[in-house]
Amino acid sequence: MTMTTTAPPPAHALDVSERGPAAQGSRHDEVVVALSPAFGGFFTRTIVDVPHGSVLRELFAGIEEEGASLRVIRVTHSADLAIVAFAGAKLSGSGIGVGVLSRGTTVIHQRDLPRLSNLELFPQAPLLDLETFRAIGRNAARYAKGETPQPVPVRNDFMARPRWQAKAALLHNKEMEFVRSGKPVELEVAIGR
Amino acid sequence: MTALRAPDPQTKASKRTEALEARPVNLDGFVDEWPEVGLVAMDSPNDPEPSIGVEDGRVVEMDGRTRDQFDFLDQFIADTAIDAATAEASMAIDAGEIAHMLVDPRTPRTDVLRVVRGLTPAKILAVVKTMNVVEMMMAMQKMRARRTPSNQAHCTSARDNPLQVAADAAEGALRGFDEVETTLGIVRYAPLVALGLQVGAQVGRGGVLTQCALEEATELRLGLRGLTTYAETISVYGTEKVFIDGDDTPWSKAFLASAYASRGIKMRFTSGTGSEVQMGNAEGKSMLYLEIRCILMAKGAGVQGLQNGSISCIGVPGAVPAGIRAVLAENLVASMVDLEVASGNDQTFSHSDMRRTARLLMQFLPGTDLICSGYSACPNYDNMFAGSNVDCEDYDDWNTIQRDLQVDGGLRHVDEREILAVRDKAARAMQAVFEQLGLPAITDAEVEAVTYAHGSNDLPPRDVLEDLKGAQMLMDEGITGLDVVRALEAGGFRDVAESLLALLRQRVGGDLLHTAAIVGHDGEAVSAVNAPNDYAGPGTGYRPEGARWEEMKRLRHTVSPSNPEA
Amino acid sequence: MSPTHDGAATVAVADYPLSSRRPELLRTPSGKTLDDITLEAVLEKRVTAEDLRITPETLELQAQIAEQTERPQMAANLRRAGELTRVPDERLLEIYAALRPGASTKDQLLAIARELEERHAAPVNAALVREAADVYERRDCLAADD
Repeated sequence: MTMTTTAPPPAHALDVSERGPAAQGSRHDEVVVALSPAFGGFFTRTIVDVPHGSVLRELFAGIEEEGASLRVIRVTHSADLAIVAFAGAKLSGSGIGVGVLSRGTTVIHQRDLPRLSNLELFPQAPLLDLETFRAIGRNAARYAKGETPQPVPVRNDFMARPRWQAKAALLHNKEMEFVRSGKPVELEVAIGR
Repeated sequence: MTALRAPDPQTKASKRTEALEARPVNLDGFVDEWPEVGLVAMDSPNDPEPSIGVEDGRVVEMDGRTRDQFDFLDQFIADTAIDAATAEASMAIDAGEIAHMLVDPRTPRTDVLRVVRGLTPAKILAVVKTMNVVEMMMAMQKMRARRTPSNQAHCTSARDNPLQVAADAAEGALRGFDEVETTLGIVRYAPLVALGLQVGAQVGRGGVLTQCALEEATELRLGLRGLTTYAETISVYGTEKVFIDGDDTPWSKAFLASAYASRGIKMRFTSGTGSEVQMGNAEGKSMLYLEIRCILMAKGAGVQGLQNGSISCIGVPGAVPAGIRAVLAENLVASMVDLEVASGNDQTFSHSDMRRTARLLMQFLPGTDLICSGYSACPNYDNMFAGSNVDCEDYDDWNTIQRDLQVDGGLRHVDEREILAVRDKAARAMQAVFEQLGLPAITDAEVEAVTYAHGSNDLPPRDVLEDLKGAQMLMDEGITGLDVVRALEAGGFRDVAESLLALLRQRVGGDLLHTAAIVGHDGEAVSAVNAPNDYAGPGTGYRPEGARWEEMKRLRHTVSPSNPEA
Repeated sequence: MSPTHDGAATVAVADYPLSSRRPELLRTPSGKTLDDITLEAVLEKRVTAEDLRITPETLELQAQIAEQTERPQMAANLRRAGELTRVPDERLLEIYAALRPGASTKDQLLAIARELEERHAAPVNAALVREAADVYERRDCLAADD
C-alpha cells in the first residue's frame, strides 16, 4: 500500500502581474519559466496542494544557485505542457525553458528540439515536491550554461494512477477553460515569505 | 421525540469513521461527473442521437452529421466499418431488442454480428446503455471470438534487466500465459530486453507470443527483425484532435496494420475509455461513446483485434459513477464487432483488494480472449507499464478463484521445482546467447540470483552502459530472430532454438493473422477460425473439464484425504 | 480445395490452419516450402531472414478464409498487405511516417500513391494514400506547402 502525501509546506504568497507581450531574450545564460494559463491565478496549488508560490520559489532558487538569470512568462493560448514549455524555450536567450502546469506537471525544454521531445520530463505531478522543483531549477540553469547535468531523479509510484489520474484529468480540463488566444506575456512575480 | 443534537464531525470523528477512513479504498481518487468536458462514463447530454442515411450504397449521414460535416473518424467509420447494405435495416431495430439478442443464449453469435455490422457508434452506445453488468457478462460469454479464454503477462524490470525479463517470461509461460509483453525504462535497452522476453518465453513453453511496447515505428522495426512475434501498442483515439495529438490518423494506422500483415506478424490496436478527456479534447462526449468510435475505427482498418478496457487511463473511468460498467461495455462492444479482445486489467486500478477484484471479475467470469493485457509477471515495483491490476504476488489468489468458481482464467499452479528449473534454463540460455552474439557477459552469479529472485532488488546490477553498447551493436549489425536461433543452438539449447524457429516460421503461413490467434500446445494456430466460440447457453461452449480441470484443482496447499498429515 | 486451372489456389475454412492442413500451398518468397525451413538449414544459412516472410499468394489464401468467416475488412487488410510485401522495410517505415498528420503536403502524398502504383504494383494502397490526401486536405492535416 503506497500513499503519496505531501506534508503541508510553508505557504509562500504569490503575486503575479502581467507586463505586456513577452520579449525575445538575449542573455545567453537565461532560463525562461513558462507558466500555464491559470497558474497562480484561478489555481493556487498543485494537485498535491503544494502552493504555487512555493513551487516558483524553489525553481527560482535552483536557477539562482547556479548563477543563471531568469525570466517568467505566461502562455495563454494553450494548456498543453509541451506547447507551454516550447514557447518559453523559444523566447529564452539560452534556448532553455521550463514549462509548469497548474497541477504541477513540469518539463525542461530546449528550442532546437522537436516540440514533443524534451530534455527532462516530470509527468507525475503528484510526486513533485519542493526538493524536486529546486533540482529542476538547478538543472535548467546548467543546461542554459551549456552543461550536461545528471537528470533529476524521479520517484516512481505505481499507485499514483488510482489516486490522482482522474483529478489530473479534471484539473487539466479546468485549466483549459482559461485558454485564450494571444501571445505569451511577461510576468512580474513577487513571492512573500 | 427529542431533537437530535448535531455534533461537529470536524472536531470529533467517530471510531467507526476513523476505521473507514483508514480503509485502502479511501486512497483511491474519485471525482464528480462533468459532462460538459466529457468527464462522464457513458451518458453525456452531448452524445449524438443515432441516425443513418444511405445513398447509392454509401453512408451519407451518421449520428446526426452529414458527410460534409464528418470529421476524419466519422468518414473512416462510415466508409469502412459500417455495412451500408444492411445499415438501414439494423438501425431500425430497437436498441433494447438488440440487447436482448446479445443476452439471450439462444440467439447465435453470428446472428448478432450480422445486426451489429450495420450499427453506428451512437446506436451501439444506445444498445449497451440498456444493459447492466450481469447482462453484459452474459453477452460477453457468447460474443468472445475464441472458444477458450486466455491470458497475457507483462514481463518488465525496473532496471531493464534482460535476464530478469527472460526468467519471468519463462515462469509466466509455464504458468499458462499465451502472450507476454515487455516495455522499457530506457528505450535503448529494447533489443536486449525483447531478446530476453523471446528466449525466456520459448523456454517456458514453445509457441508463446512476445511483444515489446514502443513508439509505433520502433515497435514495427523490432517485429520486422523477428525479435518480437506480435504487436499491440498501436494506439487509436476517439476524437480527431486527440488522434492528431497522438501523431496519427485512421489512414496512417490502417497502413500500419497492413504493414504488419505484409510481414506475417500478428497485431492488434489499442484504445480505451478516458484517454480523450485526459488529454482535454473529449468534445463533451461520454468516454464510452468515444471508445466505440475507436473500436469501429479498428474494425474498419481490418485488424484482427483490439486491446481495450481503458488501459493506461483506468484511473479516469474508475473515478466516475458507472465507470467500471463502461469499461466492461467497451470490451463487450469490441467483441460485438467480432474483434479479438485483450481486455485490460493491466494497470494499477485501486488500493482496495475488494475493488480491484470486483473490476477483474467483469472479464474473468465471462472470459475474454485475453483476460489481462497483461498480468504483471514481475512484482509491481518492477512493472514498467506503471503497475498492473494483478501481479505475481497474486498468482495463488488467481488460481484459487479459478478453482473456487471453476472458471478458467488461463493460469495454473506449478510446483516450485519446475519453476526453478525453467528460470534457471532461461537464464542459462540467455547467458549462452549473450556469449554467442558477443554481448556483455552474464555471470553464473547472475544466473543463480535470477533463478531465485522475486524482483530486480534481488539481482546484482548490470553494467548499463556496456549493455546499451551491446543493444546498439545488435541494431547496427542487423541481428535477426534467426541469429538468435543459431546462437541458441550453438550455446547448447537446441530445443529452444527449434521452438523459436517454429514460431518465426508461423510468419510464412500467416495463420496467426486471424482473429484471436494464439499458438496452442501442439504448435498449431488456435483462433476464432478453427476454434470459434460456440456458447449457446447452459451446458454448451467452453467449460474447464478433464485434464484442464484437474490441473486447476491443484493449489500450493491442500489437505489430502489419503495422507492428511503430509 | 485444389489449385484451379490457372494455378491460383483457393481454400476453405476447413483448410485452416494452412501451415498444418495445406502446407503444400505455402511457399517462402524464394520458393521454399515450410519443410525446407529446418534448424539444419538455418544453421547452414540456407534459410535466411528473407525466407521467413509471407507471400502475396499466401495472404490471398488467408484473405479468402477471412471472407468466408464474414470478416470483409480483415480480408481487405490482408490484400493490402499482399501488395505491401513488395515494398522494402525501410520504405514501408518512411511511407508510414509520411502518412502521419502534418507530415506531408498533398503533392508528396500523391507522389507516394504513384510510386505505390507504378513501382510496387500496389493500387489498393495507392487508393488509400490518395483518399488520405483528400481527407487531410479537407480536415487540415497536411503539411504546409514549401
